[in-house]
Amino acid sequence: MTATDTPTRRGPGAATRLAARAGGGAVRLGLLLTALFWLVPTIGLLISSLRGPADISTSGWWRVFTDPAQLTLHNYTELMGNGTITHALLNSVLITVPVTVLVIVIGAMAGYAFAWLEFPGRDWLFLLLIGLLVVPIQVALIPVTKLYATFGIFGSLLGVILFHTAFGLPFAIFLLRNFFAEIPRELLEAGRLDGAGELRLFARVVVPLGGPAIASLAIFQFLWVWNDMLVALIFANSGSAPLTVALQEQTRQFGDNIDVLSSGAFLSMAIPLAVFFAFQRQFVSGITAGAVK
Amino acid sequence: MAAQTVPSAPSHAPPSPSGTAGPRRGGRHTVRRARSAIGAHPWAAACFLLPALVVLGALVVYPISWTAVRSLFGADGFAHFVGLGNYTSVFHDPRTLTALRNNALWVVVAPSVATGLGLIFAVLTERIRWGTAFKLVVFMPMAISMLAAGIIFRLVYDQDPGKGVANAVAVGVHDTFAKASSYPGAKPRIGGGLAPSGGGYVTTSAVAPGTGTAALPLVGVSPATLSGAQQAAAPTHCPAGAVCGTVWLDFTPGGGGVPGRIDPGEKALSGVQVQAVRDGRTVASATSGRNGTFVLPADKLGTGQVRLSLPAANFSAQFQGVTWLGPTLVTWSIIGAYVWMWTGFAMVLIAAGLAGVPRELLEAARMDGANEWQVFRRVTVPLLAPTLVVVLVTLVINVLKIFDLVYVIAPGSTQQDANVLALQLYLASFGGGNDQGVGSALGVLLLLLVLPAVFFNIRRFRKERTR
Amino acid sequence: MATVTFDKATRTYPGAERAAVDKLEIAIEDGEFLVLVGPSGCGKSTSLRMLAGLEDVNGGAIRIGDRDVTHLAPKDRDIAMVFQNYALYPHMTVADNMGFALKIAGVAKTEIRTRVEEAAKILDLTEYLGRKPKALSGGQRQRVAMGRAIVREPQVFLMDEPLSNLDAKLRVQTRTQIAGLQRRLGTTTVYVTHDQVEAMTMGDRVAVLKDGLLQQVDSPRNMYDRPANLFVAGFIGSPAMNLVEVPLTDGGVQFGNSIVPVSREAIAVAADKGDRTVTVGVRPEHFDVAGGQATSLANDEPAGVAVTVNVVEELGADGYVYGTAEIGGEQKDIVVRVGGRQVPLKGDVLHVVPRPGETHVFSTSSGERLSD
Repeated sequence: MTATDTPTRRGPGAATRLAARAGGGAVRLGLLLTALFWLVPTIGLLISSLRGPADISTSGWWRVFTDPAQLTLHNYTELMGNGTITHALLNSVLITVPVTVLVIVIGAMAGYAFAWLEFPGRDWLFLLLIGLLVVPIQVALIPVTKLYATFGIFGSLLGVILFHTAFGLPFAIFLLRNFFAEIPRELLEAGRLDGAGELRLFARVVVPLGGPAIASLAIFQFLWVWNDMLVALIFANSGSAPLTVALQEQTRQFGDNIDVLSSGAFLSMAIPLAVFFAFQRQFVSGITAGAVK
Repeated sequence: MAAQTVPSAPSHAPPSPSGTAGPRRGGRHTVRRARSAIGAHPWAAACFLLPALVVLGALVVYPISWTAVRSLFGADGFAHFVGLGNYTSVFHDPRTLTALRNNALWVVVAPSVATGLGLIFAVLTERIRWGTAFKLVVFMPMAISMLAAGIIFRLVYDQDPGKGVANAVAVGVHDTFAKASSYPGAKPRIGGGLAPSGGGYVTTSAVAPGTGTAALPLVGVSPATLSGAQQAAAPTHCPAGAVCGTVWLDFTPGGGGVPGRIDPGEKALSGVQVQAVRDGRTVASATSGRNGTFVLPADKLGTGQVRLSLPAANFSAQFQGVTWLGPTLVTWSIIGAYVWMWTGFAMVLIAAGLAGVPRELLEAARMDGANEWQVFRRVTVPLLAPTLVVVLVTLVINVLKIFDLVYVIAPGSTQQDANVLALQLYLASFGGGNDQGVGSALGVLLLLLVLPAVFFNIRRFRKERTR
Repeated sequence: MATVTFDKATRTYPGAERAAVDKLEIAIEDGEFLVLVGPSGCGKSTSLRMLAGLEDVNGGAIRIGDRDVTHLAPKDRDIAMVFQNYALYPHMTVADNMGFALKIAGVAKTEIRTRVEEAAKILDLTEYLGRKPKALSGGQRQRVAMGRAIVREPQVFLMDEPLSNLDAKLRVQTRTQIAGLQRRLGTTTVYVTHDQVEAMTMGDRVAVLKDGLLQQVDSPRNMYDRPANLFVAGFIGSPAMNLVEVPLTDGGVQFGNSIVPVSREAIAVAADKGDRTVTVGVRPEHFDVAGGQATSLANDEPAGVAVTVNVVEELGADGYVYGTAEIGGEQKDIVVRVGGRQVPLKGDVLHVVPRPGETHVFSTSSGERLSD
């Protein structure tokens, strides 16, 4: 009598499975909608940046779904023809790259000292550094303005670079010290037995082994500085202002400048997003390593 | 605890040799030794540290102390010592008080919402095949600047439902549940027998049921919007004891019509709600049909005269959406943008913590008879607690320092309503205020607010070290 | 090639009350393979690291040949070390790992190549030279670590438990390889292990340490035959020596029904200290299962000690009997080796007699050896 047995036995099982699948389906649908919800603002900006100023000021970006002819690169050609913006883009690069390099070099050196060298007051100094991790940059804005004025670097790229470096260092040292400290002691001892001096041990053993952490740090530092507005708003002048500041100045007449703003904002996002998608793994591992700032 | 670990260290070598020299393990000096020098010259440490110490000293430590001292002096530099005067004026300044209130709102709402959403997303995506893609989407805003996010949300929060997606959705939702009014701006012709009443109109003279038809002529509707409407008509078969009538646009295109009469070419106004009112009570209601006619049924009307009323709903202005960036909502709206940016952060950290929860524990709980919710509530969440605390603390610190997002999203008119400490500091010291004494006091205040986080971090670090 | 001398070398960690290594004195011959062995925390690794220069020496001196290296940097000592976890640089290839020290020393590239290839040939690593350590098996990594030491042609090899990360079978195999390689190269070698079997099979001489103190240095054979004290007696040999505390009697000590002869002087020494008992040690293979012919105190009883069998471990060629015996009114655990053909059953009673001349007598209070 298997023919009659099977359906009855299967009945409740199938029902629960169905319920579970329906529940799972609801979760999936919910997540799908959430993902869409999360994407809409960015898509809105992207599409807006591809519509002419007249279209933007009269109707919403979703109109392109019914009227694709609205799409144009006009805003971008306009943007590229805008001397202030292109100069600001160059400044962004000129600020971000040196800061990233400086923070990594100085931070790695200090991180190595904290991890593997003995010096008086080391633990105390490191606790101070942990304290500095969360210091709001706002506290330093006024005095550093004065300091820069004294040294005549107020408004220069150098000033912006130094400030970013200083406030990037605590995190860099913290992250790298923790990573370097995990290097097996025997590797450094082997290096010593192999005859490596302090500098060579650092450059040939510690830094290559710290590769993953340094990569995460580089990505973070790059994004922070590239995305910063406040520091540049205060320490840069019109000649040294990066893209964020140049765009910010346009937000006062938001409606009138929407063509430059939308395309400029998307341009300013394109580079971080490219970095983000290319190095998601390092990005994520960096975030999990240094959730303090 | 993934949130506290360092990205995995070079993994080919197992941890330091065990079972060798005893004094190297256990006890406090072991920790020191494990990190201790590897035969370096003392000056080596100095050389490696020097650049960092110089930069940090000059641009972080020295400025902090300078600001602390400066906060005790007046607007004109170190000339006037005012003691705690700047702090008193800060706490009497309504702008700062608004900023403090808003900061409190930020601290309470933003981190908990972002963490809560992050937890939900992390748990739900754990077993879904495209979970990684989902996480990527939610995490992506972390990579963009607050300025770009600000511009994005200025667009989202645009007041015009035709341009801002938030209001487009709001209006769409509103109109789905509350029917759109048919004829905003429509009004009776002067002397047309209708008088204003509570946003709508009511007939000046009463009618008795079964005594003929009522004419309800309106003007003020653009004929263009009625291009599809029928020619208005007088009601034909009016049941006994009922009140019938017509609602129409009493305007003849091209001119020549008589006011109050249904002329050829005059359009019917369909879908208008008509109510019969007796002694201030609505006894019957009807809606005008395609040709503008309506019938108020006799059984509802009863006997006695009634007045006909056209309620306000027929004429109310169209719903224009929410004023996202107005004084009351602006802070909430900006918090929304922040949550959009930072939920991904919480989610990724929590997901990492979740991956660190030993599967056996969950399986053991299931063997003990716990259902999925109990497993989550009694096992997963407690094990995840350290991660959740780290995420919350990190977000609180971050939120206390919030500046860019507010500065960019809040329009000039409501910037004061959206004010936060970091913005007030900027405005006071650079953006026109030019009182660096007050600015410094605000800086010190901000520093004091993040101080608990410093102790939290130090404790966490100490604990990690002894582990 | 050189001798190595620990001359009262002492290491005390900051804050510790007791020295981790206390006045260590060993003279290692040129070309000798010396094994430092002892339980966890005995100071054997610290001693090796002192010789390597990775650990400060707080007292005494360490010499390699005639050079006093006590305060020399590791790189100036002309030594090479093999670490327990091999400490291979994960970011370098096998060849680069092996050649790193030479490169730092400024040796010409072609010379490095030749030497690395030579060493690789000896160790059967030629085809792996281009790989990273991650792509190697445990045994191969171990050989690379050896190769890194060989390439430098140092005066002394230091090995810190180099086999403990290998599985049991590979460990036995590599043990012979390392010993053979060392004989071939003739380089003085100091080898640290906690495994006494490794120590006994590999070393020319073995040094046993306990609590930072040297217990005995001797050849494996002597170490086994004449352990200098109770600790060495119990540590060397597997299964361990049976150690039983018995009362002193005239002309020897009483072990069950047998008398174990001990020299009068030794008994006198023990008695002088006020000891009423001594500890007798008998290795499991030095018990004879009695058939009544042994000297017996009471003629109506069988000779020796009656051992009740608890567990029998059959190994084929022979077997070990784990049992209990009543000696001096107390139940003692006794291990006896029996021939593979005469294995008793659980619950049997065996009468065993220690073989004359194969017993060891130690002072119960000081642990010193009393018998010859």
